[in-house]
Amino acid sequence: MNIEQRRKERLDRGIKVRTDGLYALMSWRELSYLTLPRLVLIVGMLTLPFIMPSMYWQRVISIVCIYALLAMSFDFLAHFVGLVSLGGALFIGVGGYLAAIMNTYFGMPPLLTIPIATVVGAGICTLFLLPCLPLRGVYFAIVSLMYPLALARVIEALDILGGTDGIMGIESFGNRWVEQYFVILMVLLFLFGARRLVNLDIGLVFRAVKDNDQAVRASGMSITFYKAVAVFIASAMGCMGGASLVHIYMWSGISLLALDFSILPIAATVIGGAGTLVGPVLGCLILVPISELLRAFGTLRIVFYSLILVAFIVFRSEGIMVYGQRKYHQFERWVKI
Amino acid sequence: MKTKFFATIVILLAILFALPTYSALAAKPIVLGCPLSTAFLYGWDAERGIKLAVEEINAKGGVTLGGEKRPFKVEVIDTRDLEPGVPVSEALLAVEKLILDKKSDFILGGPVRSEAALAAMPLLSKYKKVSILSTGVLTPKYHALVAKQYDKYKYCFRIHGEAKQLVGEMFANFTALKEKYGFNNLFIIAQDVAHARGAAKVMNKVALKKGWNVTGLEIYPTGASDFSMGLLKAKKTKSEIINIWMDMPESAILLKQWYDMKLPALPFGSTLAAAEQPGFWKATEGKGEYTLCNVVNAGNAPSNATPWTMKFYNAYAKRWNVEPEGLGSSSSYMAVYVLRDAIERANTLNSDKVVSELEKTDVMGVYGRLRFNPKSHQVIPSLDPEEGAVGTILQWQAGKRIVVFPKSIATGTIKLPPWMMK
Amino acid sequence: MDILIYGIINSIALALMALGFALVYGISRVPNFAHGALYVITGFITWSLLRTLGLNYLISIVLALIIIGVVSALIYQFALIRVRGMAISEIIASYAIGLAILEGLRWGGFKGTTYTLPVFIEGTINIGDVPVDLHRLLVVAIGGAVVILLWLFTHYTRIGLALRGMAQDERAVLMLGIDSDIMALVAMAAGGMLAGLAGIVLLPLGNIVVEKGYDVLIQAIAVCIVGGLGSWMGAVLAAFLIGFAQILTTVYLGSHFQMVVALLAIILTLILRPSGLFGKQKELEERV
Repeated sequence: MNIEQRRKERLDRGIKVRTDGLYALMSWRELSYLTLPRLVLIVGMLTLPFIMPSMYWQRVISIVCIYALLAMSFDFLAHFVGLVSLGGALFIGVGGYLAAIMNTYFGMPPLLTIPIATVVGAGICTLFLLPCLPLRGVYFAIVSLMYPLALARVIEALDILGGTDGIMGIESFGNRWVEQYFVILMVLLFLFGARRLVNLDIGLVFRAVKDNDQAVRASGMSITFYKAVAVFIASAMGCMGGASLVHIYMWSGISLLALDFSILPIAATVIGGAGTLVGPVLGCLILVPISELLRAFGTLRIVFYSLILVAFIVFRSEGIMVYGQRKYHQFERWVKI
Repeated sequence: MKTKFFATIVILLAILFALPTYSALAAKPIVLGCPLSTAFLYGWDAERGIKLAVEEINAKGGVTLGGEKRPFKVEVIDTRDLEPGVPVSEALLAVEKLILDKKSDFILGGPVRSEAALAAMPLLSKYKKVSILSTGVLTPKYHALVAKQYDKYKYCFRIHGEAKQLVGEMFANFTALKEKYGFNNLFIIAQDVAHARGAAKVMNKVALKKGWNVTGLEIYPTGASDFSMGLLKAKKTKSEIINIWMDMPESAILLKQWYDMKLPALPFGSTLAAAEQPGFWKATEGKGEYTLCNVVNAGNAPSNATPWTMKFYNAYAKRWNVEPEGLGSSSSYMAVYVLRDAIERANTLNSDKVVSELEKTDVMGVYGRLRFNPKSHQVIPSLDPEEGAVGTILQWQAGKRIVVFPKSIATGTIKLPPWMMK
Repeated sequence: MDILIYGIINSIALALMALGFALVYGISRVPNFAHGALYVITGFITWSLLRTLGLNYLISIVLALIIIGVVSALIYQFALIRVRGMAISEIIASYAIGLAILEGLRWGGFKGTTYTLPVFIEGTINIGDVPVDLHRLLVVAIGGAVVILLWLFTHYTRIGLALRGMAQDERAVLMLGIDSDIMALVAMAAGGMLAGLAGIVLLPLGNIVVEKGYDVLIQAIAVCIVGGLGSWMGAVLAAFLIGFAQILTTVYLGSHFQMVVALLAIILTLILRPSGLFGKQKELEERV
């Protein structure tokens, strides 16, 4: 028996410990240690449209942002509230259809339809999911997966809302820089908003619901209420994405409820790092452009893409961001035992 | 560390972006962007048709433009729009990629699914790109929209027949069958997609007006795999013709079951993807006999519509080792030629000028005389190849695709299955 | 009469599609979202053996079933075993594997509508005034046989009993000296073979196409959820319920509602009674 007589020890870096407290404000070094990663993300996102070589790639960035919103909503629900929702397409579909209806039937401009679609859409999604909220684990996952598929079939069968043709003639943003920066700013807003939120009191309750719902109930709090609030927040992100997508492409239809919108954000979360909220954004920034580059290979790209996903989930389930954070905050060394 | 990750990603992206830039050739090629669902019949038929035409043109030097010869270059991109579960935005992104990234001068072929093609129209007008649809999209809404908002959508053309024309052709046949055999009961089965459902409803209305007895109108959702109830209903109501509007692969289940039941009704399909392929006979072990289907334009099945028809047919068969299959083969082929002529006449790549030259198109093509309706940009159909684009209805007879309509190009007549002979 | 006959055929077909999924979930608690892909790929394997290698039909079927059993065992051994117990990872991983198989097949040239398997027996008979082809009757026979064999297997063989034990309480089974990983492997292989068998029996009715994989998965999930996840006999009963519901909606409501039935059944069942009509109530595991 020749077992490795050593193990890896991980220690927080001194600077991390110092920046946890008031010391953070006392030196530039600590201050930059704290703010640099965030600044890199913000500045990076804001300059992305400029470093993109063509208008096509700028459009890809918009798509990245929409997927990023969805992925964040998935990450928030799954890793902070414990509701694994495979129904990202439901959020996109509801938000998209609402924006399309308001724009084409009532003639509202995009800057009005998107906020309304976000709030009203989130309300509708919450109502849809309300009866399923007590469900756990795989049951909630499957029911949320089926919602968009069923909704698409219902629209198809009843021939409402434009049926299989979809709704056409939706107004676009008008100015492409507005279009570009609107989604980027929204991603940043929701990202930092959500990160703040999970550290507030209500965020603590959310995490408690995930970890031990009976304890929450024992404390005299309604689990369903908190879950509903969380679903509202998450679906607001998705609906916002859907509404923007509809205005970017000037078109809405049942394919807004397609399975891809449910699957890709999850893949992005897995690869980017679950439970970090930044991870999913990062995952989308990597996955969506790669999938665009692989387009030339036809269906082979879906194969690549699924294999990457399997590899990540099976062998590296922590994801890039968790790994990165660990390396940033801690150092490792071998110790003899 | 976080920074390092971002740095790597940015560098990675930068490298990847730099890749697609190709060096300019001596004579800059004219890029034809083809957004097609390449994994499906209506995608690869167009791809092959377009590539064949481009190879032929380039072999002769290319397009004469401003005194120099410029070759065509084809950029095919997979839109996946015929796959279930894929959002149309995917197809739209593909179209944008062709326009913005691949710098396509013209869009040919697709998108293939009606929904996607309709959704792509605003994009085409936004970027002012001339597009000639040549496969899949049959919805009359497409050219109706062009006619309605001409200034906005004038860049969109369609060079193959559309659903209304198909309905007309079908009825010409039904009337003939009625006169010959006294048929009067019509059963309609359609797939739940825009063009098929629309066509089926039109079919229903027209049939009632013409004194047919419509015994049923069944609309099956995409992916349905059990048609027994519909077929039994057709049998019970003594239907004599079953009109099928379906391009999903499950239609093979329907046809096989029809044969097994020995249903005394003629399966008369339009856009019946399964029956369009030469491999259909073998795939159904002969159970596809007597199935009729409309391949939209001549040249997709052997006939002598114009001198060019068999020339195209044989060239296609030689190049791809398979006979033309699918409704978009001959039309995609012709789309390239029509576009070349228009560019040469306009002597520029300017979209607006090419549009007005395309409107003046008048050429004897693979499937008859090709002219666009100047208002709706739809190719003008006709029953006579001397007059306009002719359609083709074929019937499977003893393992061969026999053209039975229109009369001017027919190579045989409609046969009834033995169990229908009284 | 026709409703009865074709209702039964449709129901048995659904039961065949779902049994593999139910078996795997019932024993190892792995929701095998690659189920549809296994169904389709077996069809293509059989086709290749039959048409390109020119083997006998029966031999190709048996070979294809063995291959698919091994493939599913490999999928379990190399991927799913590492994420067992994490429901969501299981779903994502198996779905991604299924996606890779299906799209890989498409990329490999298995596309279009010309891939078909021959029916087992030609011919049609009339039951009353309803014509039924022999192959569909055979589907009913095979489906019934599979259900009965499965019941016998799980009640009268050592492995079957071990599997059933595992389905009830994995830890207790471990204490009795049964290796639960090997049992799960066996279950996965058997589930894959059942999916493959369903494919071989049902695909000759039409043609083999990649898109079928997604449909089969949804149908299988619908049946299993309505019947109660993990309950095999529940799945069979639910198959009849959904099968007849589909036929009845086609006749009375219009055929375009056919696909809504399965999806609505899933949602309603999960909301009202998550453990399904015949599942054992495990209140605390399912809802708060």
